[in-house]
Amino acid sequence: MKRIASLAGVFLVAASVLAGCQSAQEPPKEINLFAWSEYVPQGVIDGFTKETGIKVNYEAYASNEEMLAKLVSGAQKYDLIQPSEYTIEALIKENQLLPVDWSKVPNSKNIGSQFKNLPHDPEHKYSVPWMAGSVGIVVNSEKVTEEIDEYDDVFQEKYSGRIVVLDDPREIVSWALGSIGKGPNDVTPETLEQVKPILAKWLPLVKVYDSDSPKTALLNGDVDIGIVWSGEAAILYNENPKFKYVLPKEGAHQFVDSLAIPANAPNPEGAMAFMDYILRPEVSKLISADFPYTNPNVEAQKRLSPEEKNNPASYPPGDPKLEGFRDIGEQAVQIDKIVTDMKAEG
Amino acid sequence: MRTGQTTIAAAASVRQRTPGVTAWLLMAPLFLWVLLFVVAPTLIMLVYSFCERGTLGGVVFKFTLANYAAVFDATYLRIVIRSILFAGLTTAVCLVMGYPVAYHIGRSSEKWRNILLMLVMIPFWTSFLIRTYAWMTILKSEGLLNSLLVQYGLITQPFEMLYTPGAVVLGLVYTFLPFMILPIYTSVEKLDNALVEAAFDLGAGPMRAFSKVIVPMTSPGITAGILLVFVPALGLYAVNDILGGGKVDMIGNIIENQFKGNARNWPFGAALGIALMAAFGIAFWFTGRRQATVQTS
Repeated sequence: MKRIASLAGVFLVAASVLAGCQSAQEPPKEINLFAWSEYVPQGVIDGFTKETGIKVNYEAYASNEEMLAKLVSGAQKYDLIQPSEYTIEALIKENQLLPVDWSKVPNSKNIGSQFKNLPHDPEHKYSVPWMAGSVGIVVNSEKVTEEIDEYDDVFQEKYSGRIVVLDDPREIVSWALGSIGKGPNDVTPETLEQVKPILAKWLPLVKVYDSDSPKTALLNGDVDIGIVWSGEAAILYNENPKFKYVLPKEGAHQFVDSLAIPANAPNPEGAMAFMDYILRPEVSKLISADFPYTNPNVEAQKRLSPEEKNNPASYPPGDPKLEGFRDIGEQAVQIDKIVTDMKAEG
Repeated sequence: MRTGQTTIAAAASVRQRTPGVTAWLLMAPLFLWVLLFVVAPTLIMLVYSFCERGTLGGVVFKFTLANYAAVFDATYLRIVIRSILFAGLTTAVCLVMGYPVAYHIGRSSEKWRNILLMLVMIPFWTSFLIRTYAWMTILKSEGLLNSLLVQYGLITQPFEMLYTPGAVVLGLVYTFLPFMILPIYTSVEKLDNALVEAAFDLGAGPMRAFSKVIVPMTSPGITAGILLVFVPALGLYAVNDILGGGKVDMIGNIIENQFKGNARNWPFGAALGIALMAAFGIAFWFTGRRQATVQTS
């Protein structure tokens, strides 16, 4: 055993010496990855470093806006960020992203066509989808027996105090928009005026607002129904199949978290090497194992276990109506104020 | 504490000398610290609060008063008032619970005093967030407390405790109680027992001795305790999110949302922060003045 270890050590040294020779004129051997907290498995980072010799400094954030705040401040330069679709759109508008040189990311061929050329990156120039997911309804079918398939079914008087929702004004408003037949991006002063009475009716029924871990309240039995991230719902389903995931028939938000390279990245080459690495099916599969969202990598999807593929929250059956969020600029301020107002009312 | 300061001031006036170079050098790190980490950030916030919102967060340097106008919007005023009520209630409960404890610790023998003080400090050895999450497992409907109560037949149905305003106040009191006990303890420890005995000798009952002698003599500790609890309790929003289910926003949540939430409205967040600081400043100045008048009268 010892001998094998020492042999491996010799190989590692030899490999790193060789790697060192190869890359005499290459840029610094490290990349600064700024990504969602607990969204990049340590095994993936270690594997990448072991193979390429590029060290990954993983810094974490908890919201797109927190990421923007640090990116805009310029205090730290990042090589890779992991924004959601509407944030990518905003960054592209402000010329804050570098286009990806696809010749350096050959594994981009594995990206499913339905995840390319989406409205936030219409020419598929700037982003590599990491994971996609939806926001839907979770029902504890032991406690809630009736059929639930639209937003109005959740916010009923009889479920008062038994509901958990994401603590996210934009999401909440998008559900209210859905319930009056509008899309999640139909955000105008008029439509916002229309959703106010709906929110005034809905929000007092909510027991918990939680974006970080909405599954906790459901698992603990403090609530029986909720509108949460599909990944959370997938974990709940794995825990106990009594937790059913339903995509509301009015349509739901599909988010696409992607890797992108900021305009001032010191090591874009390293960033693209990382993009290529995570697009390998066997690596992408590892990400799916830890975070059961919808994997946009078709080759990786083929390698998933039947249990993973049959989880209705990760891979919703049928052809659900899904739509990404668009950048809505100043209207976000209004949304924030309306939801704050309605919460204070309750 | 105030008496301590006056004795130092008296000693200095006896020797009466201007601080030398060494004294300035010793003070320099403190000045630098205050300048870098208190004055500079506050000034940046002040400037930002008069700017316009940048598209990706940040600010655009164009003068506006709109952010301050928004602070006085009914939505936010209502939240400020509610936050003050929660922080006030927390402070009152901490004072009622903390005073007897601090008094007892201050009056006990030296050996016991150290053990008791240690017990007050032990919670600080664990992260505040972990302790707050621990309360979740106690309070949840299938949690420790509910199962105990059901088992002993005190209640038949689990009692809704988690995600209520009561849970928020409980969490806040739990977090801040040591900050009330410690300053009061320092005052009680310095309390001259002869004066308390004199009060009894002169015919004062326990109530009278407490209200006329003990409370005034320990008032510096009480004031410090109130400030140390009230000010942070007003800004702390993590307890509200975890134990209150984020149902009712506190002023801290609102400020956080301007930087880390959908709105990306830094100037408004800065204006809220400055307004809150100004409110504190005024409150502090008033209490300071009242104390001064009480002392001179």
